[in-house]
Amino acid sequence: MAPPFEVATHGTETTLIVRGSLDINTAPALAEEIDKILGTKPTKVACDLSALDLIDSSGVAALVKLYKGVRSVGGAITISGARDQPLAIFKLLRMDKVFNL
Amino acid sequence: MHAPDQPDAYRKSYGQTATGSHAHTYALRGIGYPAEAMTATIQLTVPGTLRYRNIAVRVVAEAARLVSGSVQRDPTDLLDNDVRDPFDTAVVSAFMEIFNNVAIHAYQRQGGGLIDISITPAERELTIEIKDHGAAFDLGGVAPLPAELDEATLPDSGMGIHIAKTMLDEVTYEPGPPNLWRLRKRLPANQVASGRS
Repeated sequence: MAPPFEVATHGTETTLIVRGSLDINTAPALAEEIDKILGTKPTKVACDLSALDLIDSSGVAALVKLYKGVRSVGGAITISGARDQPLAIFKLLRMDKVFNL
Repeated sequence: MHAPDQPDAYRKSYGQTATGSHAHTYALRGIGYPAEAMTATIQLTVPGTLRYRNIAVRVVAEAARLVSGSVQRDPTDLLDNDVRDPFDTAVVSAFMEIFNNVAIHAYQRQGGGLIDISITPAERELTIEIKDHGAAFDLGGVAPLPAELDEATLPDSGMGIHIAKTMLDEVTYEPGPPNLWRLRKRLPANQVASGRS
């Protein structure tokens, strides 16, 4: 099964598209990819969640790792497109405000 | 017990009485069905590892749709993860977290036991019981989320039980053996089950 994400990097700018289900079974692969992204000391990361159908707390943790990691190296990050169940989870956890969803 | 308001052709094509699984088909087709068809309990037993999680999640999602009457974006796509109805969202989100908890804490990611899942869709509520024979979980030891959430306090763990408790009307845990989680979600009074006549 293909990983539920796509990464496109241009220099220090990265676009991450997450789709399908980001959960305890798929989040570890994304977390590995996030380590690679953070290794580039990104100045700008755009994370698109419009194709994400389902998320659990493990998936949320992976995105928190991305958010904190990019901010810790002084980069800018946008997380956009969350809808339906994922948006409900971010709102429940009050992360929608932090992520500007 | 059969659905007296169903067309004869429909009953003939499926050839049986309206058990829970048939009632699901009625709901997807937007046809009303009697309340007594909703009282059957669905039993599912899976090995206590994350490998079987998606199977259980899909069964629970379909059971939630029995109560909410929602339809999938594409009912022919068996791999579709789409969950949009608020009731379905709550049930599926909470169940995923509890299943994760059992596989990780009760069975330590090693399996070695089974997870018995009983799902009872009723007219306006869904009850799920999840039993395992692994280590007991310390529910009281779960830390609450930070009162003020900002970049510095964004949590990266400990969110699962909070999600389950907030999403549902009732989450109880009885340490065993067997350990027993009982989850209950009622359809909000202002939510009319969609897809029903």
